[in-house]
Amino acid sequence: MLDKALLAEVIGVAYGQGLDLAEIYVEEKQVGNIWLEDNRIEKIHSGREKGAGIRVVKANNTAYVYTNDLSRQGLIKAAALARDAIGGQLGSQQAASSWQERKAPLRLDCLSLDWEERIQLIMEANQAARGVSQLIRQVMIAAADVQKQIQIANSRGEYIEEQQSRVRLLVNTVAENKGKIQTGYESIGGVGGWELLEHISLSQMALKAAELSVRMLAAPPAPAGKMPVVMSSEAGGTMVHEACGHGLEADLVQKGLSVYKNKLGQKVAADCVSVIDDATLADKYGSYCFDDEGCRGQRNLLIEKGILKTYLYDWLSARRDGVASTGNGRRESYQHKPVVRMSNTLIAPGQDNPEDIIASTPHGLLVKKMGGGQVNTTNGDFVFDVQEGYLIQDGQIKHPVRGATLIGNGPLVLSNIDGVGHDLGFSLGVCGKDGQGVPVADAQPTIRIKELTVGGTA
Amino acid sequence: MEQTLGQVGAKALNEALRSGAEAEAFLMQGKELSIEVVKGQVETLKQAEEIGLGIRVLKQGRTGFAFTSDLSSSAVKQAVEDAIKISVLATPDEHQILPEKAEYLNLNLYDQATAAMSVEEKIEIARSTEHSALSVDRRISIIERSAYGDVEYCNLIMNTKGLYAYENGNYCGIHIFLVAEDDNDAQNGFSSMSVRKAWDLSPARIGKEAAGNALRALHAKRVGSGRMPIVLDPYVATRFCGIIASMVNAEAVQKGKSLLAGKIGEQVAASCCTIVDHALLADGIASAPFDSEGVPSKNKTIIENGVLNTYLHNTYTARKEGGKSTGNAQRGSFRGLPGVGSSNFSLVPGSLEKDYLLDGIEQGLYVTEVMGMHTANPISGDFSIGAAGLVIENGVLSYPFRGVTIAGNMSEFLMNIDALASDLRYYGGKGAPSLRLKELSIAGD
Repeated sequence: MLDKALLAEVIGVAYGQGLDLAEIYVEEKQVGNIWLEDNRIEKIHSGREKGAGIRVVKANNTAYVYTNDLSRQGLIKAAALARDAIGGQLGSQQAASSWQERKAPLRLDCLSLDWEERIQLIMEANQAARGVSQLIRQVMIAAADVQKQIQIANSRGEYIEEQQSRVRLLVNTVAENKGKIQTGYESIGGVGGWELLEHISLSQMALKAAELSVRMLAAPPAPAGKMPVVMSSEAGGTMVHEACGHGLEADLVQKGLSVYKNKLGQKVAADCVSVIDDATLADKYGSYCFDDEGCRGQRNLLIEKGILKTYLYDWLSARRDGVASTGNGRRESYQHKPVVRMSNTLIAPGQDNPEDIIASTPHGLLVKKMGGGQVNTTNGDFVFDVQEGYLIQDGQIKHPVRGATLIGNGPLVLSNIDGVGHDLGFSLGVCGKDGQGVPVADAQPTIRIKELTVGGTA
Repeated sequence: MEQTLGQVGAKALNEALRSGAEAEAFLMQGKELSIEVVKGQVETLKQAEEIGLGIRVLKQGRTGFAFTSDLSSSAVKQAVEDAIKISVLATPDEHQILPEKAEYLNLNLYDQATAAMSVEEKIEIARSTEHSALSVDRRISIIERSAYGDVEYCNLIMNTKGLYAYENGNYCGIHIFLVAEDDNDAQNGFSSMSVRKAWDLSPARIGKEAAGNALRALHAKRVGSGRMPIVLDPYVATRFCGIIASMVNAEAVQKGKSLLAGKIGEQVAASCCTIVDHALLADGIASAPFDSEGVPSKNKTIIENGVLNTYLHNTYTARKEGGKSTGNAQRGSFRGLPGVGSSNFSLVPGSLEKDYLLDGIEQGLYVTEVMGMHTANPISGDFSIGAAGLVIENGVLSYPFRGVTIAGNMSEFLMNIDALASDLRYYGGKGAPSLRLKELSIAGD
């Protein structure tokens, strides 16, 4: 942690005449990663990194300088570089004279595991996966934890301290039969420590992944063409993240790069659809107390019963629209300026019974597990990968199908939702935007989309 | 800088030797500048300096690794201690060794003229890219950003076997994202180029190309499902090259994670298909005198006329098979152990003009944009990705389409390539010409 007097001095240098904001973000990070593959602990990494990013803003223009030289000299140099880059005059403005301090509550309940304990869990999980079938050719397990200490100080006199810790666990399995290969995948992650494994053990995850890869070996290719699609809650929320989340990020909207621009107060989804972004959920992978520019994370109702209520904002985009930040200014690390990002994004649970949704579908695709996705916010087209899918016939779940990506258009799909279950399931991932990855979680109840293009080959 | 990094490296190696371990120090120092211009104004200017050490220790066949961005004596000592402490927990592996010392070519990867350019000149490059895009057509309504960026780096690798490898280099690039709007339709356009020498940048060409890409995508229609011939433009073909690069990675092969395992000497692709990995390519973005563990780089033919010649190896994967490293150890930064990766990896172009690829196609798709490429599975080879582009009718390009997927398996993809154009283009370290596939599954309306 850097001395507050030094931070004040750095802000003083950066905050040249005519500038609107000077800010320093200091990060100290410890990471520990373990990989198992080929039945052995293949890699163990431990790392320490510290650095600072200095941001100055003048009207709509930003200069950002980062360094991992945290000496007084190094920081002052970086501050001057940022100020000069944006044309801030020498002779700094008077920054706030005293700090208005806020600290995120320290979490003392995080369970830590030493290396030996982690390795033991990983070895057990490897055995569990290998035990599923002789067709399992490879098991990869990764366990990563990261602890960050963050300080943010700015020319408005705000000073924020936050400690964040996250754990993420992944299992990848490969099954092979007669030259055909299929893979299975499970991951969990959250804010906090290893108590995460109280919900599901690593061995249970390994079993699920291994069973999936073996099951998919026998699955015929998915069909190609338009059909009704039911997404089970356990599939998580990649769809909502892609179909509308990104398009509601105010920086994209303001640039005219979103199909949701000029749609506030208008109907953008079916009546049964409400969408929420909530950084305050307990222990989810995308949760935080303060965002990465010091604004408190909050619960934002984005779409209420089909009506668009608000966009997601960081400080800069909020200032442009004359509104308050929604606490969605996030960055990957001190090497990145904050941009508007989602936290935990979800479609709110509805009234329907999930079994009834499937039972009332004459034919279609049931998605039980989603993979990654991508969206073109300008035209609203999005894709996401189906990792586990089944055909539905006469309201019954039939055989699994492999290799399907779903492609649709955000506003069209949201208007085409005609069933919303009363359940809710989460998935997590690292969301990429402008070359930065941040941890997010997404969730949805079981839903049905009247019609969506399934990108299979059959 | 070489001297500063060398002192830190020597200190780290000495610490490791004192604990009875062999070791490798990977040090890097980098500088980065990026400029984003919108409407002639600099919207974001980012300058960065980064330095760090990654220390790999080997003790009785066990590997440990730690990294630090703090190069003070105490932090370096701490990192070495961390690495040694961790190594005790790793599974011993007789194939883990450090490479021997070697001699390297001088590739002259540092361009003085690029380094000497002022920030104002660089801003001007981004402005002229934007200007040329805007002057194409008044329907180019939004410039998301027009960007210039450059990187300068120094890498030093030292190990306790006396290996010492130092290089410094720089490269730069431009890219532009924009939107064309017309009658309630809005479509993106994008183009980019990266080069070793700023002099080789063509802002006017890149701006015009991005504008053209957006304009031709306006008022796209849907198309029906079916199987039909497909032509991929160089950008999309290059994205597929990325999957092929993962499939010939020896790490994946040895772990049963590649369809190309056990296929050396076999026909794995159509006979018109030759793929090279040229680490010594003049002015290549991924060119380097040595790889990420200090093994001299070389040029290799990976697939020759459809026959699989070799995989990409680092010291570890090569030794596992009793062979020699192909100089393809790769690490993204000082924060990780070397894995295996490609250098300048490309599909060798054919002799046809692009338009000849369309000849004889009654009904097909010319794909210029893909979505969700990262969901393609390099292990199973299955891919199903979003696609957009132009419909081919009777041998010529017709109206634009979007909202469909193209799907298949990489083994069939490779065998299905039936013609390559002469328009090879690199996007960073990977490149390809336009190519034609006999047929692929399309899912649409």
